[in-house]
Amino acid sequence: MADEGLVSHKRDPLKSSVGNVAAHRRRQHAVTIGKERREAVVRTKRLCRVGISEDSDVSIDNDMVLDEEQSILEAQTSSAVKELKASVAYQGKGVMQRRVSAIRELRCLLSRSEFPPVEAALKAGAVPLLVQCLSFGSPDEQLLEAAWCLTNIAAGKPEETKTLLPALPLLIAHLGEKSSLPVAEQCAWALGNVAGEGEELRNVLLSQGALVPLARMMLPNKGSTVRTAAWALSNLIKGPDPRAATELIRIDGVLDAIARHLRKADEELATEVAWVVVYLSALSNTATSILVKSDVLQLLVERLATSNSLQLLIPVLRSLGNLVAGDTQTSNVLVPGHEITDNAIAALIKCLKSEHRVLKKEAAWVLSNIAAGSIEHKKLIYTSEAVPLLLRLLSTAPFDIRKEAAYALGNFCVAPTEGAGKPTLILEHLVSLVGRGCLPGFIDLVRSADTEAARLGLQFMEMVLRAMPNGEGPKLVEREDGIDAMERFQFHENEDLRNMANGLVDKYFGEDYGLDE
Amino acid sequence: MAMVIENEGLLGFPYWSSARRRFSPDSPFFASGNIERELLAKQIALDLTEDEKHQLQNMENEEGRAVFCPIVGCGARLNSLEGFEDHYNARHTASCSVCSRVYPTSHLLSIHVSEAHDSFFQAKVARGFAMYECLVEGCGLKFKSYKGRQQHLVDKHKFPASFEFFKKAHTSKKQRLKNQRKQAIHKREEASCTMEVEDETIDGLVSAVSKLSTSDSPSSVSFGHRHTRGLTFVPRAVQREKRPDSTPAGMKR
Repeated sequence: MADEGLVSHKRDPLKSSVGNVAAHRRRQHAVTIGKERREAVVRTKRLCRVGISEDSDVSIDNDMVLDEEQSILEAQTSSAVKELKASVAYQGKGVMQRRVSAIRELRCLLSRSEFPPVEAALKAGAVPLLVQCLSFGSPDEQLLEAAWCLTNIAAGKPEETKTLLPALPLLIAHLGEKSSLPVAEQCAWALGNVAGEGEELRNVLLSQGALVPLARMMLPNKGSTVRTAAWALSNLIKGPDPRAATELIRIDGVLDAIARHLRKADEELATEVAWVVVYLSALSNTATSILVKSDVLQLLVERLATSNSLQLLIPVLRSLGNLVAGDTQTSNVLVPGHEITDNAIAALIKCLKSEHRVLKKEAAWVLSNIAAGSIEHKKLIYTSEAVPLLLRLLSTAPFDIRKEAAYALGNFCVAPTEGAGKPTLILEHLVSLVGRGCLPGFIDLVRSADTEAARLGLQFMEMVLRAMPNGEGPKLVEREDGIDAMERFQFHENEDLRNMANGLVDKYFGEDYGLDE
Repeated sequence: MAMVIENEGLLGFPYWSSARRRFSPDSPFFASGNIERELLAKQIALDLTEDEKHQLQNMENEEGRAVFCPIVGCGARLNSLEGFEDHYNARHTASCSVCSRVYPTSHLLSIHVSEAHDSFFQAKVARGFAMYECLVEGCGLKFKSYKGRQQHLVDKHKFPASFEFFKKAHTSKKQRLKNQRKQAIHKREEASCTMEVEDETIDGLVSAVSKLSTSDSPSSVSFGHRHTRGLTFVPRAVQREKRPDSTPAGMKR
């Protein structure tokens, strides 16, 4: 993680006037990222460009590497590794200094650009040498530089990261409480990158005992080490196996530290801690029940209400959402009538009003889950500002948000499910929502290509057809071209949707429709 | 992924069931939020320009979601859910000028026109020609009877047995009032509109078809706000039977 706090310069070097090539390179990379996104590969790693400790020598010169320079860089890397090899073998005078210089040289080459010459380094045999440099008793400077090199090697491709396997036990060991803080932090960073690679490596790290020392590093009140440790932890516990999450919450002091950071820490640290809570709440029921009984819920609501940082709001909102979603029917997390519930709804409304798509979508999701609770819950949200916002989102927002708004609005109209059979409707809400023009939005969902959305739309239409007073339902649906929308399912490949649509039309728009007026 | 308990009443309709939905951390539901996290982190290292950010945002909006048209036999690949509406309007709204039924493709429309409105078609059927064309574009096989084609669709093309190509029309009130004046023909039409088309005599069919001339049925049935589309749904006794193989395909959340 680039430690912008310590080093005041910004990322200006990337904007150096190398002209079109630079811009092209960046665009290429951005496009590459875009492609990776589309293939759902989320980069969970962070390249270390700037040193952690204040006295490491920082040289961020022009680090846009042009094509011709790349091969020079690779050649330099190879020779740096060669020199490192020699210095490791060397026994004579000034051996320590020579070794440190050699690693530092390599480190600089691996930190210069967005595309470090990792392959070249690996080919030259860097990893075993770096492992040797991590041996116990080595001077801090050496450990730091070696861990830094490994950090950036691990920030690359899967097969590159896997080469770090021999280094892992040492990196974990140097997290220990006797290590100097910068060393521990750099090792945590490297481990965070390794953990971010995938489940397999995560399991290796967990088996090797990485969890406890990292957790311990998260306990102090402040410092970049705490932040790096939190980030590394979030990568380590993200599963899909829930065991790490369950173990983490049980470690002494962790819950307290999480609450403390959510309450007092600056937004950057709070963000990383919030991501830890995201995974705890999504994966582990144990963690969820522990978190819910603690102050964390309230602290999340407070952060949600007061912060304006998108970086922080996303994990906070999601944590809240996970906690509400994981709620069992018997014990409601947010009890109607309690202040925290009102505050939570207010904070969610703030998110609905945000311009950020993620916040709108996930806030609507959380509201839909709260609305899936008791009748009191439904009434509570129903009388708030949420409903007009949701109605507007249903009509005008991008598709994924519309779907969530639909869930919320529909949930208002249906009483909690009790056993089998037709759930009871809350007629007052249904009539009111239809009166406020929500039907076109649902019918639109019926027209979409998304099966789930079409299903939702049909289910809502069924309620309208069944329950609107004075038999108004069919007329309303017809007026909004609902029959038209259902017709589409005649040739739809999905049998369930066909049956649903057919069933509705058969029942409500049969031959007698319109005859008695 | 989240599962919602379905309440199926007598109709077999899965009613709206108010229930919480939970997602695992790697669920696609959370993808855009995850991307945001990493983008913002990357920004520190990359210093993306406004343009690049927009470009990436646009890419995410697509979310790699390959949307495939769900109309039987189409399967067209679309860029986005927004694109689906355009595609549907462009490709799946062919309507019959005689009876205003709407078909999703011109192929199906032309088959319908032959089979429902062309007396010479029926004449050739009676003489034993294989006239009933397979509905799947590109197959090209023809059959001597509606049933034969139906069987082929089920056997060869894995259509559900309940799939009915030809249905009785559901018309507007105005049209029904008109039709009530021609009750006798209407009753005969009912019979002829079922699947056993070949049971009717040629004469009966021809007279029924000729009565469905354009003078009687308006070229566009007005129903609601859309003026060019007729209704094609009807009480479908056949559908109400429970099918042994009804599986909730594709109902994942």
